Amino acid sequence: MNVTITFRNRTNPFIPIEAEMITPDAFLQDKEILVGEGNRTVPLEALADLVIEGDGFSIEEVDILIRGDSSRVKRVGEYMNGGTITIEGDIGMHCGNFMSGGRIEILGSAEGWLGREMQGGEILCHGDAGDYCASGYRGGRRGMRGGSVEVIGSVGDFACEHISGGEVLIHGNTGDYACAEMKGGTVTILGDSSRVCANMSAGTCYVYGSAEEMIPTFEKKGIVDHDGLLFHHFMGDVANRGRGHLYVARYTYLQ
Amino acid sequence: MAEILLKNAYVIDPISGINGELMDIAISGSRIVEEASQKAEVIDCQGYLTLPGGIDSHTHTSGTKVNFGRYMSPEDMRAGRTARRGPMHITSGYSVPTTYGNSYRYSALGYTTLIEGAMAPLEARHTHEEFKFTPLQDSFANTLFDGNWGMLRALEEGDITRAAAIIAWTLTAVKGFAIKLTNPGGTEAWGFGKNISCINEKIPTFDLTPADIIKGAIRANEMLHLPHSVHLHCNNLGTPGNYTCTIGTFDLVPDINDKRQSLYATHVQFHSYGGSGWGDFCSKSEPVARKVDFSPQIVIDMGQVMFGRTTTMTADGPMEFNLYRLHHDKWSNHDVELETGSGIIPVNYRKKNLVNSIMWAIGLELALLVKNPWQCLLTTDNPNGAPFVKYPEIIALLMSKQYRDAEFATIHPDTEKRVPLPALDRELNWHEIAVMTRAGQARALGIIDLGKGYLMPGAEADIAIYPIKTDEIDPSAEYEKVIAGFSRTEYTIKRGRVVSRRGDAIIDGENTTYWVKPKVPAVYDMQHDPAFIELFERYYTVRMSNYPVQEEYLHRNYCIETETDL
Amino acid sequence: MEIRDVPCPFCGCLCDDISVRLDDNRILGVENCCTLGNAKFLSKGRLQHPIMRKNGKWVEVSYEEAIDETARILSDAVRPLLYGWSGTVGEAQVVGVHLGEEIGALIDSTTSVCHNPSILAIQEVGHPGCTLGQVKNRADLVIYWGCNPIEAHPRHMSRYTTYADGYFIDNTVTDRKVIVVDIRRSEGAKVADEFIQIKPGGDYLVLSALRAMVRGRDDVVPDSVAGVKKEQLQRVASLMQKAKFGAVFFGLGITMSRGKYKNVRNAIELVSELNRKTKFTISAMRGHFNVYGFNEVLTWMAGYPFAVDFSRGIAFYNPGETTVIDLLERKEPDACLVIASDPGAHFPKSTIEHMAAIPTVQIDPCVNATTALCQVQIPVAITGIEAAGTAYRMDGVPIRMKKIIETNFPTDQEILERIVTRIREMKRDG
Ligand code: SF4
Ligand SMILES: [Zn+2]
Repeated sequence: MNVTITFRNRTNPFIPIEAEMITPDAFLQDKEILVGEGNRTVPLEALADLVIEGDGFSIEEVDILIRGDSSRVKRVGEYMNGGTITIEGDIGMHCGNFMSGGRIEILGSAEGWLGREMQGGEILCHGDAGDYCASGYRGGRRGMRGGSVEVIGSVGDFACEHISGGEVLIHGNTGDYACAEMKGGTVTILGDSSRVCANMSAGTCYVYGSAEEMIPTFEKKGIVDHDGLLFHHFMGDVANRGRGHLYVARYTYLQ
Repeated sequence: MAEILLKNAYVIDPISGINGELMDIAISGSRIVEEASQKAEVIDCQGYLTLPGGIDSHTHTSGTKVNFGRYMSPEDMRAGRTARRGPMHITSGYSVPTTYGNSYRYSALGYTTLIEGAMAPLEARHTHEEFKFTPLQDSFANTLFDGNWGMLRALEEGDITRAAAIIAWTLTAVKGFAIKLTNPGGTEAWGFGKNISCINEKIPTFDLTPADIIKGAIRANEMLHLPHSVHLHCNNLGTPGNYTCTIGTFDLVPDINDKRQSLYATHVQFHSYGGSGWGDFCSKSEPVARKVDFSPQIVIDMGQVMFGRTTTMTADGPMEFNLYRLHHDKWSNHDVELETGSGIIPVNYRKKNLVNSIMWAIGLELALLVKNPWQCLLTTDNPNGAPFVKYPEIIALLMSKQYRDAEFATIHPDTEKRVPLPALDRELNWHEIAVMTRAGQARALGIIDLGKGYLMPGAEADIAIYPIKTDEIDPSAEYEKVIAGFSRTEYTIKRGRVVSRRGDAIIDGENTTYWVKPKVPAVYDMQHDPAFIELFERYYTVRMSNYPVQEEYLHRNYCIETETDL
Repeated sequence: MEIRDVPCPFCGCLCDDISVRLDDNRILGVENCCTLGNAKFLSKGRLQHPIMRKNGKWVEVSYEEAIDETARILSDAVRPLLYGWSGTVGEAQVVGVHLGEEIGALIDSTTSVCHNPSILAIQEVGHPGCTLGQVKNRADLVIYWGCNPIEAHPRHMSRYTTYADGYFIDNTVTDRKVIVVDIRRSEGAKVADEFIQIKPGGDYLVLSALRAMVRGRDDVVPDSVAGVKKEQLQRVASLMQKAKFGAVFFGLGITMSRGKYKNVRNAIELVSELNRKTKFTISAMRGHFNVYGFNEVLTWMAGYPFAVDFSRGIAFYNPGETTVIDLLERKEPDACLVIASDPGAHFPKSTIEHMAAIPTVQIDPCVNATTALCQVQIPVAITGIEAAGTAYRMDGVPIRMKKIIETNFPTDQEILERIVTRIREMKRDG
């Protein structure tokens, strides 16, 4: 089953659209797709052209393509458990919330909370991702738990906050506090990062670039070889009785 | 006045001595009457189980601490969200629902009266504000005195009359209902980060022991002729081996009131632990229950633990800190100057955890071992042991050995060696459940005279009609039906109006706050007592004139005036 | 005539010992108050009638017309925002929450631009706190971190901490130590026994270092952290552990600097750690007199302290997404009601521009910076002077604000109730 959703231009393009029903599962079950535009609830067709071709008998046969201006469309792929979603442009917040299977590919950039509390499946974002990429919810103790997120560009602040499982690969830089409160999983940052792994208790993080303003309460463990490169190995966060592993190519302290 | 005639109600009303009779109940205005006129709206109860409205004699639904439980837990808030529907407002929260959430969900379970378990006097206004938004249940506030400097000073001086006068002034000022002591002496010690480990240990700041405080408060309570007895959360909550402290505390209690108990001990499950540490932790429900059996002057409530996530919140600051060190999760603490403390932490009671499994068993054991159901009331100390929405499951567990065995098979395997539960065959009947969820509460709280807890003419028309036909269900085998039946009333009637129908609130409602006002002779009026005034001026941060809860907060209310021996 | 024990409707200290001298329904003088509170009690000049912009010009209109227009604006909106709330009482806030729920609005308060990070931190790790009287009676160590009580909460030190009479404190001057932590030497630093000067943005790092030291892990801490020498940190860590009762107060210096809620979280975790050794509490220096009250009201009614989106029929909360500045920067709201605050005076330029571009209504006694952004302004009674109701002090203690002056102006609550009624009528009439 191929689903093509083309968002039309709107008179007020700033009103967010909440589209938690846009998942392969909902189309497979032939549900009526309702979305929220501000405080009104409308059928998806009121805002987008919808073309469905072919049949699907299992979730793996459902492929959704999103076109048009989807930069304000939130919660696409929430609880997604199989199939694929491809977004041609940018996507709004909370794409892939609680996702447990399938694959989301974003050709543009993603807003905040990409892959929030994700449990499985894959997300690939070709542009940048906003704050809280692969993180958790407010007050939550566990962020992303499984699956994988790859961002070709850079990410905002608080990437991988509370992460407790899964794998994240960021090709660019991160903002402040990447991997804060990290509890598990593996995060690889190919660019630079700032105050990385603050308060971590477990898990593994690699910074191939420079770790600026290192948290001063990590224990130095020596130099190790990883991926053919030399990294400083730290363990911590000691302030939090943590036993996580942080490997950085270069680092600075705010002294 | 609006009239309702309930036809074919299968009534169990323990206070009136009715145990399963098919009858009609006439309601006029807010009360049950002898008969209704032709104009009455007729509701056919089809033989469904009809009980007085449920009364929760110990729950935490309103006030500073409860609201902080919500405030600090967005993850719990999102776990229980419902949309606006009809007259129902949105609700949020699972273990600590918003005020409307509490009210609608309690109403769906047939509850019409709630006793907030712990109100700090200094923050009483907050509790009363939340009462206003809990519209489908009448409200009562147990008022914290465990660390009240005025009262402790009087007790230290051996002046029980003065202690009683201070209690009277405070209850009247804050529109409270009863004296609550939480870890007496312990909350004062916690002011400097310490705790008390024995009822005979001297507390800091005052030359007193917890035993002195408990005994003094019981005497003062009876001098004031308060409807309820002293409501006690014993020392040493949650510590292995604490059952000796609990029994020692019960030994202090004289039998000095012929209408009700002289001490209400709350959430006794948390106080019936054996062992010298977590390694040999075990149930001591048997000696505690035996003690209760021999002590008619004592009523307890279960404080049942059920598995799953919840939030613990008590005035027992030091205990919550110990829990925090155990779980290393979020921890909030809020000490209240000259009065008490409080703490909050989220917990997840897990079947895989041996200690949690034993706790679960102990609560049930207490209810099954205490012979007289009037002496052991059903609570979870909501939300400490579990959110109140688990009550139907607890009822089913008490009514079915088969259900208990099925559950037992899923908990930590070592539990069997540590608890007597598997050997208990008792299955409670419908009447006993009615006692443990409403009639017993009404008697223990001393509110039968106010028309609470029974269904005879003159009573307040607070009624719960459950879709249960007792002659068609075998509770020991069909426990699923018991759970379903108690989860959602057909009708909940509050003060003569149907407020909830098959789980949905159908009107906005307006509740009544009950508070006490002991009549104190002028010489004992603390309002003009120089030493008492000085305490305020020097050590409180709120002016004495701004301390009392003003009339504006009372909306609909009922003042219980008592004659005193002062 | 003198009215005593009046609570001051200005800052979160909510001093309730103010005496006000009145004659002929006018305030002549105020006693016990600080200069900030004084100015509030004695302020003059207010808007006399509702005003509305018609053809680009302000015209005076009746209350009825102003309420009608407000109701129409809010009913037509797809993404209405109700903002402010901290300068009014709980009784009005309650009506505001019901209004938000009914029209599917976003509702947020000034918390969003001050202690928003403190709440996020509390939601991660909790809050070991207490009422201010505990500090007054017990604290032998008081720490002001990133705040300047002398300027922002002038009576905080005299009523609740450093100079307050305390039961367990024989001599307030010698028995209480004061530590001040800031990025620059403020007024407060002069009275401090120990002043810690941190490089801007370095709070988190210093807090981590102190936590490690309290755990006995000085070994991992470098010689200097964010401009603070290790020796000083060790000295401070030891002072903290030796205290019988330590009280930390923090302000916008740590909530509004880089890292925001992580700073606060780290401070809370330091305090939690210290509780394993001694008694320690931590409290936010809340600004507006009832900023905490709105958090309380919204929490018991909707489950969250601020930044709630009712647009989908349930309460959704996600600061960063549902917070006022983020919403306005993304140009989401298409109508705005401002009450009991003055965003025009201190919001970032882009957000103000958006408020001016959409229909914005203000409920406020006075003409202020926000007036310039509005289509409609409805004047009301001054809360805490002309209108009574509930406010929550910075430590959560609820205090009833008094009405000491008679007025013909309607209260915030009355105006909001009339708006709700009008919206219902419009809905009913289609
Ligand atoms: S410190 Fe604050 S509350 Fe107290 S008088 Fe000054 S402005 Fe008013
Ligand atoms: Zn309790």
